Amino acid sequence: MSPPMIRLSHVSKTFPGQGSPAVGDLSFDIAEGEIVVLVGPSGCGKTTTLKMINRLVEATSGTIEVAGTNITTVEPPALRQGIGYVIQRIGLFPHRTIGENIGTVPSLLGWDRERIRDRVAELIDLVGLEQAMQSRYPAELSGGQQQRVGVARALAADPPVLLMDEPFGAVDPVVRGRLQEELLDLQQRLHKTIVFVTHDIDEAIKLGDRVAILNVGGVLEQYAAPMEILSAPANPFVEEFLGEDRSLKRLSLTPIRSVELAPGPIVAPTATRADVDRTMKEHRVDWVGIGTEDTVHGWVWGRDVTDTAAAADPQPFSVRLTPDHSLREALDSVVSSHTGVAVVFDGDTYLGMLSIEQISRHLVE
Amino acid sequence: MITPVLPQSESSDPFIRWDWIWGHLDLVWEKVAEHLVLTGIALGVGLSIALLLSALALRWRMTYAPITWITGIAYSIPSLALFAFLVPITGFTILTAEIGLVSYTLLILVRNIVAGIDGVDPAVREAALGMGYTGRRLFFQIELPLALPVIIAGLRIAGVTTIGLVTVTALIGQGGVGFFILRGLNRFFSTEIVLGTLLSVILAVALDLALLGVERVLTPWSKHRGATT
Repeated sequence: MSPPMIRLSHVSKTFPGQGSPAVGDLSFDIAEGEIVVLVGPSGCGKTTTLKMINRLVEATSGTIEVAGTNITTVEPPALRQGIGYVIQRIGLFPHRTIGENIGTVPSLLGWDRERIRDRVAELIDLVGLEQAMQSRYPAELSGGQQQRVGVARALAADPPVLLMDEPFGAVDPVVRGRLQEELLDLQQRLHKTIVFVTHDIDEAIKLGDRVAILNVGGVLEQYAAPMEILSAPANPFVEEFLGEDRSLKRLSLTPIRSVELAPGPIVAPTATRADVDRTMKEHRVDWVGIGTEDTVHGWVWGRDVTDTAAAADPQPFSVRLTPDHSLREALDSVVSSHTGVAVVFDGDTYLGMLSIEQISRHLVE
Repeated sequence: MITPVLPQSESSDPFIRWDWIWGHLDLVWEKVAEHLVLTGIALGVGLSIALLLSALALRWRMTYAPITWITGIAYSIPSLALFAFLVPITGFTILTAEIGLVSYTLLILVRNIVAGIDGVDPAVREAALGMGYTGRRLFFQIELPLALPVIIAGLRIAGVTTIGLVTVTALIGQGGVGFFILRGLNRFFSTEIVLGTLLSVILAVALDLALLGVERVLTPWSKHRGATT
């Protein structure tokens, strides 16, 4: 394994005038190219820990290394220009245009004007904004757009490390979901080392390659991949922090492609009432899907079939999932459909279906 | 009732003698220019001193209270009394006038500069530090530009106040358009009193609008323009 991009060794922080430390004796490594999420209740020192990495907060004791260099040997401005930083309240400069905001660190680093201009244009594309926005001021943008600018600004000088302090905490759930997807997309392409702070365990599970669960006073309760934390919580604190719906959270981490699908009650368009009855009895359902070769066109109630299945006016499945969807989404589809199954397609090709029994088998495992 | 008997110099004239004004346009321009110079120096020097005092107050918070006491006392001394005290020391000079005028701007300007810098969104400051801004760059490139609307609001109040106070300095031989008011009073010549008063009001309004224009040019990003504190 390659040496860690970030290494914390016995790091502690006691703020002046406070008896107990905000962070006490914290040690962990973050590998290059992974997203590590620090999560925990308020007072767990997650933001303090993050800010010690770019020296916005100076550690009381212990050492922090970034890319093998002890950060106390680097002047804070130089250190910070090499580490991207995104905060919840974004902090765009209201008196500078979007283009100027994104170009902040490059211009602090003394890049020439053309290089900055090209880089800004590239970043605007990267985070999915329009080039015309470059000349606008931050106040003219929506919250989601502003946070995209915040991310673009943090990426401007192409730093290997990105620190994100509850970056999506202030936007509504729909926009938050979209921004999370975009971050994962970006990460696919950029392979940054990202330290991400949140108080939202679902966000941690969704984004983290590894999740560090912190307790009050900066105590590291568990540090592992999300699936491992969900299946084997280290202690009662972690268990309680994960919540009652731990199993459901595990479902959301399991893609449909990883489970075996059932062919389901599918008949040919020419099937007669007798064929339909036999298939329904076999599968213990009161409907059939109608399919030809490798696709399925829709479904009908068995009682509606008088002549052939196709003549009974089949209706399409309202939700068609893909192998990339999670079992959690399959479960949603099961409980909200008439047929009680989730159907899975790859493009037009029918792959099979999932019933609630198949899904719950994963819950108990 | 005793009716005061007015001296008969020019008091039988109409309220405003336009012909007198047309005949003395050169003098009018001279006094308007003098008025603007006195005001400009007062605001320029006042702003420079206020910036230094504000930097002091922002760097060392405990100095803020004493700074506001001292500038507050200066602000509360009646202008007439201040000039009377200064004349034995600095004479009937422009220096005497400016000491008074400048000292009246300080409280307003210091308070608005400090409030303007304090009003900068902490998230902006944190983001700037997190991207590697140092103290001085942060002040001049981020905090000061963002405080401009509040600072200019202070400058507008100080400007209007100063235009009014300049007329008082007529008593020590300066005074800009206050010259007309003082001489009009001495001669019971209403034309000059009205002329001096009107010019003073026009100058105050013009300066206020000019500073508003400066703010619009300097802060194209600001949605809430010219908010006063």
